[in-house]
Amino acid sequence: MALTCKELWSEVSNYIDGSVSAEIRDEIERHLAQCRHCTALIDGVHNVVVLVADGRTFELPTGFSERLRERLKLEVQHGSL
Amino acid sequence: MAKTATIERAHGQPGPEESELIRRILAGERELYYALIEPYQRMTYLSALAVLRNEADAEDCAQEALLKGLRHLKDFRGESKFGSWLVRITLNEAKMKVRKLRPGQYESLDEADSEDSEYVPRILSDWREIPSEALERKEVREVLHNAMQRLPKIYREVFFLRDVQNQDIATTAQILDVTEMVVKTRLLRARLQMRDMIAPLLKQSNVFSRLLFRKGANPWR
Repeated sequence: MALTCKELWSEVSNYIDGSVSAEIRDEIERHLAQCRHCTALIDGVHNVVVLVADGRTFELPTGFSERLRERLKLEVQHGSL
Repeated sequence: MAKTATIERAHGQPGPEESELIRRILAGERELYYALIEPYQRMTYLSALAVLRNEADAEDCAQEALLKGLRHLKDFRGESKFGSWLVRITLNEAKMKVRKLRPGQYESLDEADSEDSEYVPRILSDWREIPSEALERKEVREVLHNAMQRLPKIYREVFFLRDVQNQDIATTAQILDVTEMVVKTRLLRARLQMRDMIAPLLKQSNVFSRLLFRKGANPWR
């Protein structure tokens, strides 16, 4: 029996992570070939995952490491640790 | 649909020198601590950001947590990765900070009601591949940051660990002390909500079309 949209939604994450069985993957891809909305959903989620995994999206604040080193140095020197 | 669905993920394993560094620090060479935590600065900062949603508070919290890591290094038993141990310290520190800074706004951990309900994704037209060069634009990063801040806390934590920091499902579950099934359920919800928030905003702002039309391509066919 063909996969419904609702059934596909519950597998979006696993599909994107490549953690579905070959059988489910084939069913999803058969569904996607004929469903524009689910294709847009998968593409959108895939884009989100790619964009947020990029180191430029969430960067360390400028000077973070320098401030941390300074703080560590002071605390170690003053024996408060 | 010919598409490679798998996202390659980096699984940072502790190097063999890590336990040696820990041994030397505990033996008195505390100035080596920075070398030990250097690879985990971003991870620690992002964990604090996931809870606090404010860069200045997150930096302060991450640094407090890293100092706490030195104070409690003798308690690290190696039962989890060192990075996971630091993240757990950071998340606890961040939660305490939220209670202190914004007592009236503390987000309850008990958000199970919304978790158990069915989430229906918005029907949106095609949103095709987005070039990574778009991330050079501040407005694109802001859209992503704002969307992340609007995620409920239980989804935001999982999303940050798994998708922003590239932790695997098992490590994410271990850090948050929940089952892998809970991680998967929350991750699915987080990703769907992020997509629903981001796709219309980015299309509305026309960021990508400006970027791509300049290059003679249409991202949505």
